[in-house]
Amino acid sequence: MKKYVVKRLVQLIPMILGITFLTFLLLYISPGDPAQKRLSAQGVAVTKEVLAQTREEMGLDRPFIKQYGDWLFHLLQADLGLSYKDGTPVNQKLARGMKNTFVLAAGAFLLAVAVSLPLGIYTAVRKNRFSDYCIRFICFLGNALPNFLLAIVLMYFLCIRINAFPVIAKGSLQGLFLPTVALAFPLASRLVRQVRVAVLKQLETDYVSGARARGVKKGYILFRNVLHNALPSIVTLLGLSVGTLLGGSVVIESIFMWPGLGKLAMDSITARDYPVIQGFVILMAVTYVVVNLLTDLGCRLLDPRIKE
Amino acid sequence: MNKKIFVFLSILIVSAMALAGCRNHTGEGLPVNETEAAGEGREQEKKILRVSEAFVLETLNPHLDYQGWYTSIYGLTEALFAMDDQSSVKPVLAESAEAEGNEWTVKIKENACFSNGNPVTSGMVVRNLKNAGEINPRFSNLLDYNYKIIDDKTFRITTVEVYPTLLNDLASPELAIVDLDNSGDMAKELVATGPFVISKFEPGGTVEVARNDKYWGGEVKLDGAVFYYMPEADTSLMAMQNGELDSYTSVTSDAAEIYGQAPDTYKLVTVPATRLQFYILNENRLGAPVRKAINLAVDSEAIETYLNGTVTSTSGPFSPTAAYGKAAKAAVDPEGAKELLEADGYILNVDGYYEKDGQVLSLNIAYYAARSLDTLAALMQEQLGKIGIKVTLTCEEDPDGTYIATGDFDLALYCMIADKASDPYYFISCTLAEGAPYNCGGFSNGKAQAWIDELKVETDREKRAELANRIVQLAIDEDAFGYVALFNKTTVMRKGVTNVSENCPFDFYFLTADTDMD
Amino acid sequence: MCRIKGNCKDKGRIKENCKEKSRMRENRGDEKTNKSLVRKRIIFFLFLVLLLFIISLLAPYLVPNDPYGTNASYMKAAPSPEFPFGTDKLGRCIFSRVLMGARLSIFFSLLLVMVTMVAGTFLGVVAGYYGGIFDNIIMRLVDMLLAFPQLVLAIAVAGVLGGGMTNMLLALGLTGWTLYARLARGQVMSLKQEEFIAAARLSGNSSLRIMAVHILPNIAGEMIVNAAIQVGTTLVGFAGLSFLGLGVQVPEAEWGSMINEAKGYMQQAPWAVLAPGAALFITVAVFNLLGDALSDYMGR
Repeated sequence: MKKYVVKRLVQLIPMILGITFLTFLLLYISPGDPAQKRLSAQGVAVTKEVLAQTREEMGLDRPFIKQYGDWLFHLLQADLGLSYKDGTPVNQKLARGMKNTFVLAAGAFLLAVAVSLPLGIYTAVRKNRFSDYCIRFICFLGNALPNFLLAIVLMYFLCIRINAFPVIAKGSLQGLFLPTVALAFPLASRLVRQVRVAVLKQLETDYVSGARARGVKKGYILFRNVLHNALPSIVTLLGLSVGTLLGGSVVIESIFMWPGLGKLAMDSITARDYPVIQGFVILMAVTYVVVNLLTDLGCRLLDPRIKE
Repeated sequence: MNKKIFVFLSILIVSAMALAGCRNHTGEGLPVNETEAAGEGREQEKKILRVSEAFVLETLNPHLDYQGWYTSIYGLTEALFAMDDQSSVKPVLAESAEAEGNEWTVKIKENACFSNGNPVTSGMVVRNLKNAGEINPRFSNLLDYNYKIIDDKTFRITTVEVYPTLLNDLASPELAIVDLDNSGDMAKELVATGPFVISKFEPGGTVEVARNDKYWGGEVKLDGAVFYYMPEADTSLMAMQNGELDSYTSVTSDAAEIYGQAPDTYKLVTVPATRLQFYILNENRLGAPVRKAINLAVDSEAIETYLNGTVTSTSGPFSPTAAYGKAAKAAVDPEGAKELLEADGYILNVDGYYEKDGQVLSLNIAYYAARSLDTLAALMQEQLGKIGIKVTLTCEEDPDGTYIATGDFDLALYCMIADKASDPYYFISCTLAEGAPYNCGGFSNGKAQAWIDELKVETDREKRAELANRIVQLAIDEDAFGYVALFNKTTVMRKGVTNVSENCPFDFYFLTADTDMD
Repeated sequence: MCRIKGNCKDKGRIKENCKEKSRMRENRGDEKTNKSLVRKRIIFFLFLVLLLFIISLLAPYLVPNDPYGTNASYMKAAPSPEFPFGTDKLGRCIFSRVLMGARLSIFFSLLLVMVTMVAGTFLGVVAGYYGGIFDNIIMRLVDMLLAFPQLVLAIAVAGVLGGGMTNMLLALGLTGWTLYARLARGQVMSLKQEEFIAAARLSGNSSLRIMAVHILPNIAGEMIVNAAIQVGTTLVGFAGLSFLGLGVQVPEAEWGSMINEAKGYMQQAPWAVLAPGAALFITVAVFNLLGDALSDYMGR
């Protein structure tokens, strides 16, 4: 196990280097001049001299490799540079957003898990019964309904029509409710299906029918054997769903004005605030990689048979 | 069977409880909840105005970038001068200013003081101006001037050449006067002269201000205000309807329509503001008859109808109420436009488009998708299509880096603040002068250039206005530019809210000492 | 694990517990009717997909009104015989715009899925067949791209490169192919062990021929099923990016951007949000159902 962990950690290094290179390259080749963008933020025209001076100050006149090298060097010291938009350290901005995104994403994740695990198991056990069909139908709706559409419809009916929730999401628990639901519902819909399949796969194995035949109690089989054996695949699914969650948070945060990383990313895209976008992408990728690593390790702990 | 159901129910309940527990936990991280609840209770006694803003500050330094606009909106900072509702300069912290050639003598009000009680001295003012010049490239010209402190309340600025619009510059909110010795690095605290002081500042988030008890300008009516960051107008609309806001500016046309239906609850005020939508006709590519035909076909009043309430159609680049805003353009005349094209040798083809020598008359409109220019482009495409000009649209992400820089367009749409300091020179110099950054359609007129040079140094306001009117009219008559509409500044107020600078065309004023609510 | 194996020992008694078991395992007869049922389902949804595809292709001829034609006297008009889904804030016919949006969304989603499938399969087959350096390069690239949450990368790419159809396709396609490459590689690796491949190689077939004639037909089914499942995701991805303002430009009609544009006046004209929303929902649902049916058929 120790050896495996070390091996995986070593593998992370070229991966993260690759991530940084890809991220930097992406922003380097992008159109638009950040200096211009910063100066004319309010639609006031600027002269060429002022523009050139600002470009130099921002280090935009250096060659690519130099810019990348400097940037990577600072990145290794956990310094993501300064925002083009207002000169604040990117770290500071990301840290602020991360706190809020974590609250939202963790809430949505827990909600999705709390709903989908029991439902997934339940529908697997009740396969092809009425309740199975009902739940699967709702999940089917959730799978085909994009989260932004759900968010808008929820917001319209619950905030405006019946005034049940505040529009300003930040600052109250009621405010947090709608974005959490909008983020969790599509995720839960998918998870229910996947958990159901994972559990079904176990239920349909011979050992289950064998055990049933020998008169072992159903509940006992379910909890002692079936869930135990399905757990690694469920954990993997949960790990993968974090990716969906991180992507979805960008959309949901933008709709509900939740001051998290996704909102920050969208604002930075509009402002061509490259350092912040870079920081955001890298932070997301690293989070995802780490989550996946932990999931893999978790699966190995749960099921020692898995061999690389 | 029952057992199974029981087991599942218990899983469900346990997970729900785990979730609830977690939620409560996260709830502790958000103490705002309590303060808000408490705020509601206090609201009866305390007058706190709740406002939304589409921009957010990272620091409180008003000299940086455009941050002064927002510290001014929040009622925190004031400059030596300010622009009033009629777009003219009036003294604020300054008592008076007199010019003699390139020397300006400015006197500061006797009673002007900071929120900590320290008086505003001429030394502090000069330090502020220099500081702004250093950290804000748009004001770097302030570093070229000579400053002389005459006494505690008087100082003299000597500019390099005669500079008639110095006072307009000094009215820029970026040149706010701050107590530099007591504001730290202005990251989180700020001691300035405005009617309000900062009480809670969350970088990139909500800003709370409270009454400045030592305000030099008299009594401040409100107890405080909260500015929420809401970049999307839709959110502001819903929050307003939900009773979470009391007022905000930049109301969209859709929202205005909704507020208009409930006049008992909301008050709407719309004034033409300073942001101009215009288009540049490329003289290098389009002949005079085609340009004239385009200008005759573009119906800015119809565009105003579509963008209902957000813009006011205009003939010239400046507000028609200003002395320098007297410009006239020909009335819309699609038939006349067609005749012009036919006289130029164009023949209508079977598809309904004009062509000459087998070449269809087709135009490329370059635009960017902001400030309703996307709608404007779609509407112009339709209007020009009706008189038989085929239009293709090219959307650019970054107009300044693309079509404005290269001149690669037939027609270019742009939106900018035409009147940033109640003076016409700025806009004229950057769109109509030779080699100006936005003179990218080949406008070149000796007479206009001579007038522009004259305008630069002319000190008499009336003569300035007359020169400006002549220059702009020349550009219109030559069909070099088309001025479409001025954006309105629309403010919505819940009934009882008064004096939120709703009649002022400039975006950077909002909270004042007179702002009040029931 | 021993415990479980022990449980499986006596398979003989399975039939005694028929009632319970029939829910868990289907016997041969069930499987047969099931298979033909699934086949019918596939045909039905294929028909629906085809219908959607035809609508999207013929959209310019089906629209009752000009989808770009503005009309000041019909701004935000409610649905009527003339405008079946009402009009938006510029007086444009929403029904016509939804149809034109179908053209963009459906056609380009299918195109993108097709291209990523072909490219991904090709790279995966090459990686699996040749192994070595090819395999290493391709798989490292796949790993790297999979390190990013897909939507996050797409938003960053589309946002940074600026809006527009091409950039949006690029943003979504950048990670799309990795799925097929991984699958194809895995399948090729196991096929390579099979005797018929070795036999083909021994009888002097070129690598290219082996890949095209012996390997591709064996993995095509799996690839197509995966592609069918991906169409729904791609549709939502498209709409999501457009909704964020990173997709197509105005006045082009696209469901996501129509929803984004109309959400500002949802209170006065809910149809302007609901019509494109419903269109998107139905289309995604149909493609998802087809994908489900196909994967049921493949026994997955």
